[in-house]
Amino acid sequence: MSNTSIRMRERAAVTGTDREQSRPSRATGPRKRRGASGLLPSGFMWILPALIISVGLIYYSIAYSGFLSFFSWGGGRQHLKPVGLDNYTEIFSDPVFWMAIRNTVIYFVVVFTVQVIGGVLFAAAMHSRVIMANVYKVIIVIPIVVAPATMAPAHIQVWQSDGTLNRILEAIGLGDLAQSWIGQSTTSLLVVILVGCWGSIGFGFILYFGAMTQIDPEMLEAGRIDGAGNFRILFSLVLPNVRSITISLAILNLITALKLFDSVWLITQGGPAHSSEFLGTMIYSETSGASRDLGYASALSIILMLIAVATSIIVQRSSRERAAARPRRGRRAVSEERNV
Amino acid sequence: MKTKKFLAVAGLAAASVLILSGCGNGGAADANVKPATSGEVNWWGWTPDTAVAKRYIAEFNKEYPDITVNYKNFENVDYRNTLVPALESGKGPDVYDLSAAGGVPDTWGPYAIDLEPLAKDTLGDDWKKKFSAGYVDQLTGSDGRIVSLPLGGMSAGFLWYNKNIFDEAGATVPTDYTSWVDACAKITAIGKTCFAMAAGGDDTFPTEMYHSIANSVDPEFFIKASTGKAKWNDPAGIEVLEIIAKMKKDGIIASNVLDGTQYPQANEAFMKGSAAMVQMGFWYTQYAEANSCAASMEAAGVANPTCFVQLPLEFPDVAGKGHGSQYFGEVDYGLAIAEDSKNIAASKTFVSWMTMSEKGQQNVANALDLLPGLQGVKPDWNAISLVDKSVQQPAIETLIADSTATTQTRQWQATEKSLHGIVVAIQRVLDPTLSESIPDIAAKLQDASEASTAGTK
Repeated sequence: MSNTSIRMRERAAVTGTDREQSRPSRATGPRKRRGASGLLPSGFMWILPALIISVGLIYYSIAYSGFLSFFSWGGGRQHLKPVGLDNYTEIFSDPVFWMAIRNTVIYFVVVFTVQVIGGVLFAAAMHSRVIMANVYKVIIVIPIVVAPATMAPAHIQVWQSDGTLNRILEAIGLGDLAQSWIGQSTTSLLVVILVGCWGSIGFGFILYFGAMTQIDPEMLEAGRIDGAGNFRILFSLVLPNVRSITISLAILNLITALKLFDSVWLITQGGPAHSSEFLGTMIYSETSGASRDLGYASALSIILMLIAVATSIIVQRSSRERAAARPRRGRRAVSEERNV
Repeated sequence: MKTKKFLAVAGLAAASVLILSGCGNGGAADANVKPATSGEVNWWGWTPDTAVAKRYIAEFNKEYPDITVNYKNFENVDYRNTLVPALESGKGPDVYDLSAAGGVPDTWGPYAIDLEPLAKDTLGDDWKKKFSAGYVDQLTGSDGRIVSLPLGGMSAGFLWYNKNIFDEAGATVPTDYTSWVDACAKITAIGKTCFAMAAGGDDTFPTEMYHSIANSVDPEFFIKASTGKAKWNDPAGIEVLEIIAKMKKDGIIASNVLDGTQYPQANEAFMKGSAAMVQMGFWYTQYAEANSCAASMEAAGVANPTCFVQLPLEFPDVAGKGHGSQYFGEVDYGLAIAEDSKNIAASKTFVSWMTMSEKGQQNVANALDLLPGLQGVKPDWNAISLVDKSVQQPAIETLIADSTATTQTRQWQATEKSLHGIVVAIQRVLDPTLSESIPDIAAKLQDASEASTAGTK
């Protein structure tokens, strides 16, 4: 670790400490003794009915899906046929399911990476003094505001065989690269991912832009005094301070990838030959087809939920462990520096 | 204070329960109610087109002016995806289209009332014999209930062509594989698409191409494989997929075939006049009629359309075995009355008139959308204005005669799993970036399929 960055961290730590010292201590204020009923917020009773209904509906639906997953059922007035674990064993032996999982992982990794890099770069650029910054902000944020259903025909127009992209390629002499982007297995997933990237950068930008506003200017100023350039400040000061945003984005992207449905269905319907299939499109096909099996769809939904919960816990735990480990590493580095 | 809080919370809870219960289904009418001469009927379907439905309704209203019929048309996949949740919520249509394909009478049928008493009252005890052969059986649920009454039948296994494009290109209509390739060369030379086909997505439309080619290879193979008496990866099945691959290689099937679905992609290409041929079934006959043609061209995005002459064309002998495809067909759809409907009485009047009255069925015949369900009803050519009567009328009369004589069903004897398996197999064959062998693709189709028991008992 360079001397500059260690000094910057020391200064940051000092600044942080000063800030904490300047806060009024919670322990020193007058304390009111509270009974058991005092533990509840005063308006709790007023939100109780809505809470019961909303939370009840959510958990009822999850429990009911779990129940249905052990049956074969066409829905409505058809008979429930118990099948034990057959739905789950069928899912795990279905190559389409593994294709959907593979696509989910690829989608998550690519979209998350692009969102973080794009979001940070745009946010950093907007914090520097660029001309017409507000115009750029609007341009970056627009993709979040537009509904996927509204944009799907435009995306199809761009990516289809006689679409905009192929025409541009032909116009600039790269006609050999023109191909059926939506209509072939090797590129249909790419189209879905690029559409996802297009819509996600703006969201990353908003969060990072807001988080960067909260960074203490004194810390950045200290970095500059120590001779750090823009990139050093970005990587050594800004990014560590917006780490919580990155973790939140990781969890949100993971859940988005697991639930992904609308843009995929509208652009490729999971095809061709299931090449752009996701868990969301699998569940939808199974739920809404003429000969649907809600038991199978429920088993898929339960698997989706378990993956979402498990991976969210893993991401959060690993981020906490890193956060806990970081100050120790930092202190060790500082002490090593002093010993030198 | 505590009492007040308790009362407030209890009041809120009660209000929530009342609101939620208000979301539930109101009381449905009695299924045994007699037909009425007034009321409102909401009818949903993927077919007919809105313009045709409006004509049906206008004729119906001449006899029953106090019954308002509102028709809502959906694309095929949208209809399938919308109907069941709507019926399940109790907020669906009063009358809905119900097809025979893919076990639909057992999946959508449980939401419908049994129409046998209505049919008996209207047509007498031998009512079944008054419909075309097989139509009523195809719309009967496995529990024996008549879940819908046939409005009409359809056939497929042939193509439609745009005579104007063929004339302009100096091409002759294809009768075998070689002449199809020759025709395509001439048509593409004038900047038109030879054959509009779209096999992307989740729709089962491409199975008609597979079925037609299969009939050219072996006329019995498709039904045998559908019902488990042959395997999809038997030599005939492999030959079918090989022909599909060759058709793309030789330029009959366009390179954008997997970009979208038959509706809207292929339909629009043909109706815009940019493609010379398309594979569609009997329902496409309606676009030979001047008004329907113009409406359909406008729907495809053509402003101030000038109708072209479209004609049916027998599926070419692509396997080189001396025959193309025999026609295959079945009841296209029937009209079902939702059990949860609050307008069952008016719905009964509408369904009876449409499916069992001579006037209603004449109306269906004249729309050229379906083969009438009631036997003996034929189009009244004086009431139909074709784009080019001298050419189209004899061609359509032959088509009707051949379609009525067909003995092979279309999708009734195929499960949805098999149909989807065929779609994925076609996509694998046509995907230029996949390098799977055709026997492997056929084997995967066999694994994904499920034999149907329809018509085998």
